[in-house]
Amino acid sequence: MDTFETVLRAGRLNRRDLIKAAGGMAFAAPFGLAAPARAADATLKVGFVSPRTGPLASFGESDPFILQQVRAALAKGVEVGGKTYGIEILDRDTQSDPVRAGQLAKELINKDKVDFMLSTSTPETVNPVADACEAAGVPSLSTIMPWEAFYFGRGAKPGEPSPFKWSFLFSFGVNDFLKCYVSQWNGPVQTNKKVGALLPNDADGNAIRAHLMPALAKAGFTIVDPGGYEDGTTDFSAQIAKFKSEGVEILVTFPIPPDFATFWRQAAQQGLTKQLKIVQVAKTGLFPSTIEALGSLGPNIASACYWHKDFPYKSSVTGMSSKDIADSYEKATGKQWSQQLGATQSLFDAGVAALKASGAPTDKAALAKAISTLKADTTVGAIDFAKGPVPGVVNTPIIGTQWIKAKPGSKFKLDYVITENANDPNVPVGAKLIPYNG
Amino acid sequence: MSLVNLIAQGVLLGGYYALIACGLSLMFGVMRIVNLAHGDLAVLAAFLVLTISTTFDVSPFLALVVTVLIMAAVGWALQRFILERSLRSGLLVPLLATFGLSIALENMLFEAFGADTRSLGDLIGDLVFDSVEVTSAFSLSYLAMLIFGLAVALLGALSLFLKRTSLGRAIRATAEDPDTAELVGINARAVYGVAAAISVATVAVAGAMLAMRATFDPYSGPMQLIFAFEAIVIGGIGSLWGTLVGGVVLGLAQSVGATLNPKWFLLAGHLTFFAVLAGRLARDWGRARGGLRAALGF
Repeated sequence: MDTFETVLRAGRLNRRDLIKAAGGMAFAAPFGLAAPARAADATLKVGFVSPRTGPLASFGESDPFILQQVRAALAKGVEVGGKTYGIEILDRDTQSDPVRAGQLAKELINKDKVDFMLSTSTPETVNPVADACEAAGVPSLSTIMPWEAFYFGRGAKPGEPSPFKWSFLFSFGVNDFLKCYVSQWNGPVQTNKKVGALLPNDADGNAIRAHLMPALAKAGFTIVDPGGYEDGTTDFSAQIAKFKSEGVEILVTFPIPPDFATFWRQAAQQGLTKQLKIVQVAKTGLFPSTIEALGSLGPNIASACYWHKDFPYKSSVTGMSSKDIADSYEKATGKQWSQQLGATQSLFDAGVAALKASGAPTDKAALAKAISTLKADTTVGAIDFAKGPVPGVVNTPIIGTQWIKAKPGSKFKLDYVITENANDPNVPVGAKLIPYNG
Repeated sequence: MSLVNLIAQGVLLGGYYALIACGLSLMFGVMRIVNLAHGDLAVLAAFLVLTISTTFDVSPFLALVVTVLIMAAVGWALQRFILERSLRSGLLVPLLATFGLSIALENMLFEAFGADTRSLGDLIGDLVFDSVEVTSAFSLSYLAMLIFGLAVALLGALSLFLKRTSLGRAIRATAEDPDTAELVGINARAVYGVAAAISVATVAVAGAMLAMRATFDPYSGPMQLIFAFEAIVIGGIGSLWGTLVGGVVLGLAQSVGATLNPKWFLLAGHLTFFAVLAGRLARDWGRARGGLRAALGF
């Protein structure tokens, strides 16, 4: 059996090998070792790289559940061009380390000989994996990181043709945040349109400062930016004093979770929280645990999501609706659903669609070509690589949300509601944004 | 008034640094070991307080009392089973052993508690954000004052203990010279055990305060170790009150740095640490050559 599979996998099947393999089959069959009734014609190896441990672990926390669902749905293989291919997913944990992410990708490429690479969650995961695939000529599809950091951050120049042949991304970008925030802040909560910006001096913070803040200023908001701080700062008295004296009523921030908790408690200690009407937190506050950790200061913080259980889309691989995915996750694990569930699922939806669209999934060039024009239905909506914004990248929406106290009798402390849908009108708005001190 | 606020917040922040540095300082002062697992032990204690507090539905402060006792036992065991063995093989081995312990602890905590960010903030009610508002631009947080008070009380108690009790004298004697201490009938092995137990018990208090003022996850330890280490180096290694001074200087440097430019918060702390270290090296280098002026040829 081993020879049979290896030979087919490598895509180098000649007559002698076939006879050898068939001989193996003949021996194996009587002893019950043969494949199931409808044997796969070949097995495709798909690498899946995500951060499951380390500081980014809350992103990867729900990945085992999705992997289990996807493996079950793909157990019978995928039919492409009249042939059935078995799919073996090799999942790897980056431990939140970009160097390790690159090493894992190289190992998957050189040692495991993967046909296709998937990766998700943050530039620290996706960029090194995409770079390794680009260098080795292996098709790579990723999601969940700002597309500007994926495209320009890896060396592409505006206005020039894309330097990438093998790596593709569908994800949100700065413009999606802009549209979402403008819609959220011009909504039911009245403010003086003065925005305090608490942005760290890291890749995300500086990108937001350079691109999002001027755009927000153009949209009619006054930006108060005390300057970038280093991740790991333990005291924010200087910034709080500045926001207080400027009288800001909206706060926008892109912190890592421990920094936000420190800042937010000091803001309460020093009286800043009383004057704020909208508290728009990105990066932190994607997952229930980081908001729950804030205690009574957590509810009414506004956020934004890349997937929500109320999304009207279903997975093309498992057939489950967004709500089904969230519910079955809560049932299986006892934990509250998180937005990464649908995002990781969408990566497999798009990945399997790409394998099908390629016609010849073992042919790496054909697969890469198929992705470059791929149209696919996923849990985050329909994606179409022909649309851009740049070659090899598709925009997916960012939807405004708010954490509110859960209704009495709920299993969890907080509820996560959709408060605006400027980027995707198909997504139902579930609640009106309420003021932070409302 | 904003300057007063700035200084007050910096000093209060320094209290937290002194609290976390206290155990590290004691262990280094007595055993000459830099415990690289110090921050991770603080996080372990934070998880213990959280678990005890939520399982038995008791106040985190009561849970902390129990945790301090558990962590004292952990400290004793750490000395008996890891540090003592590694100390026999020279100075580098304990460093490597505690480094290994740090990694093992982080991953064990991750296995046991998962990656979620936690906090004790929601268990202590309004204490987490209540403050005395002196003026609109100057308020003092109760929690920060509590932490500062705890640091002073703990350092004061330790200092009295080392000066006034016979066990304290035994610890000081062993710290000076374990072999001579043994000659006069002190059981150095037992003294080391006690010192490690006290050191790790104070880490438990610091860990609980970390968990109340901020958040923690299994990987929060190393950053706390850096602050603790800087505080003791600035304050003078092995000096308990120096630790408080070091913590306050570090906190002030960071607050002042952040007011000039928010980017400089950590940098100002690191630079102060470096300046103190460089200053000391220059002084020692000079002393060895008959005074700095003489050494430079003035």
